[in-house]
Amino acid sequence: MFYKFFQSVDKYLSFPEAKAHCDIPCGIYDPAPAQIAALTVVRMMDLMTALEQGEEKGRLEYHNTLTRYIAVKEEHAEKAKHEIRVIWGDYIKDTHLEKHPDLTMLVHQIMQLGSNCKQTINREHGLAFVDAINQFAEIFWLTKNVKTKKAKAPYAPGLEMFYPDL
Amino acid sequence: MIRIIKVTGESLSPLFLPGDYVIIGKCSYLFGALNKGDIVVFSHPSFGLMIKEIDSIDSMLQQIHVKGSHPLSVDSSQLGPIATTDILGKVVWHIKNPMRAN
Repeated sequence: MFYKFFQSVDKYLSFPEAKAHCDIPCGIYDPAPAQIAALTVVRMMDLMTALEQGEEKGRLEYHNTLTRYIAVKEEHAEKAKHEIRVIWGDYIKDTHLEKHPDLTMLVHQIMQLGSNCKQTINREHGLAFVDAINQFAEIFWLTKNVKTKKAKAPYAPGLEMFYPDL
Repeated sequence: MIRIIKVTGESLSPLFLPGDYVIIGKCSYLFGALNKGDIVVFSHPSFGLMIKEIDSIDSMLQQIHVKGSHPLSVDSSQLGPIATTDILGKVVWHIKNPMRAN
């Protein structure tokens, strides 16, 4: 009864709306896409190395495959950087930085390592990229009071990753 | 002063659902009377008018921290602390939408 009354008055007066925000910003932040993208970068480096050592070298198919690997490596390095930037810009607040003062330097390092991975096929750069993003993931889950666990990714290149221990 | 506010968004679900109305009062409390667990409506510089539950009160700095009840809700870690001067009032009457599922 009360509800119908308020609803009727609302039609004429349009009561102000208070957002119990859940939609925008959605609050859905997760470093997993960045971690997977960084793993993809290392995988592409490995595939490129294997291709170079194979017998197809010089053939048209070789160039086609190599070009595709390069394109995917480029795309995923950028994707990982983008995902980290979004969490950094939209989620991380001053209170997080007070607790984790090294985070600013870590994000900067991730940006640079991502660019190194684009510029070279140096696997060490790829491993460092994955490692830095793992460190970021660990801190991210700490800000949410979610425990993390270390486990090997169940697919090539099978590197150790930080996962939320839910 | 008393105001009528309509709720949108899901972050206080299942207690408060979109379409519910709340009556908020500012005269009904002096700021010392705000308690953890109270539902308050406040004005946020980026997100506008919001309704959230008080998670903690910092009486020294005259600010509160808020949270939602939904696991995906944004809270003070994203919104920042809310100054008590930005609080429009606390909920004194909740009029639920009778059409809601539960």
